[in-house]
Amino acid sequence: MTNAPDLSRSDNRLLAALPRETLALFGQDLKQVLLSPGAVCYEAGDRIDRVYFPLSGMISLLVAGRNGDVVETGIVGREGAAGLHSGLGERRSYNRAIIQIPGHFAVISAAHFERAVSNSPPLRDLIVRYVESRWAEAQQIAACNALHSGTARLCRWLLQAADCTGSDHVPLTQEYLADMLGMRRTTVTLLAQELQKRQAIRYTRGRITLLDRNMLEAGACDCYEAIKRENHPLRIEVD
Amino acid sequence: MPMYYFHLSNDDKVTDVDGTDLANVAAARIHAIRVARELTFKSEGLLDHSWAVWRMLVHDDGGIELFSLPLSDFE
Repeated sequence: MTNAPDLSRSDNRLLAALPRETLALFGQDLKQVLLSPGAVCYEAGDRIDRVYFPLSGMISLLVAGRNGDVVETGIVGREGAAGLHSGLGERRSYNRAIIQIPGHFAVISAAHFERAVSNSPPLRDLIVRYVESRWAEAQQIAACNALHSGTARLCRWLLQAADCTGSDHVPLTQEYLADMLGMRRTTVTLLAQELQKRQAIRYTRGRITLLDRNMLEAGACDCYEAIKRENHPLRIEVD
Repeated sequence: MPMYYFHLSNDDKVTDVDGTDLANVAAARIHAIRVARELTFKSEGLLDHSWAVWRMLVHDDGGIELFSLPLSDFE
């Protein structure tokens, strides 16, 4: 762990939205860490012991079946945080949260975060609004998985991942994407080849580059815009 | 386990560059059907061509075609 990041210039939009006096409540308890892909933030059912604010990487929220199959139910990037609701009191994680794209994260213990929240009604309000936005996103993704084509879902996911990390280079394998989208890897390979033929993306092993966002937005379902609207920082900005 | 490749073909071709390890041809056929269902789910076609003109060609790792499926069967 390194020392506290400069929160006033934070790349995390939740932290950037907080007033200075609220940020001051975190003090030295908020640390910046570099986390690698596959690192587990929480398993489903775990007590949430830390809150993670992505500064550059991305966290996947996964639900696992008994046979080990997993499907992604949400992603957390620079627009949000994982474990934020632990600020309302001790909470357990609904799902497995893992680092999917490596990067820097601002991390604070749940105990310190809860203490800061107890002294800050605006921070408490931020949590409630953020949880509402995550709830809306989960419903949108559930509908998306049931209603929309593989191509539309892949386009939506690539755009979301790029937005979350602030980069058009998405360091993910098709195997991972298949798990995230609940499709077979072969299906994702073929759909990615189609997008590559259209010059919407460039795929090299383990890395996808978005080349034409307009084309991807045209190919994505309405869910992309709906989720983006819900996660817009102004909607969860502290008054 | 042997590798199987699930390409799509009409005038154009979409190549399965990665392939999948599967136990035998019967498993490859089941996999092909599942992929075909996923591809055609709520979708009218690929690369501006309807599924009616696409076939899935299943090859072994020597490039030999083992069987094919018309995607129109899954629309």
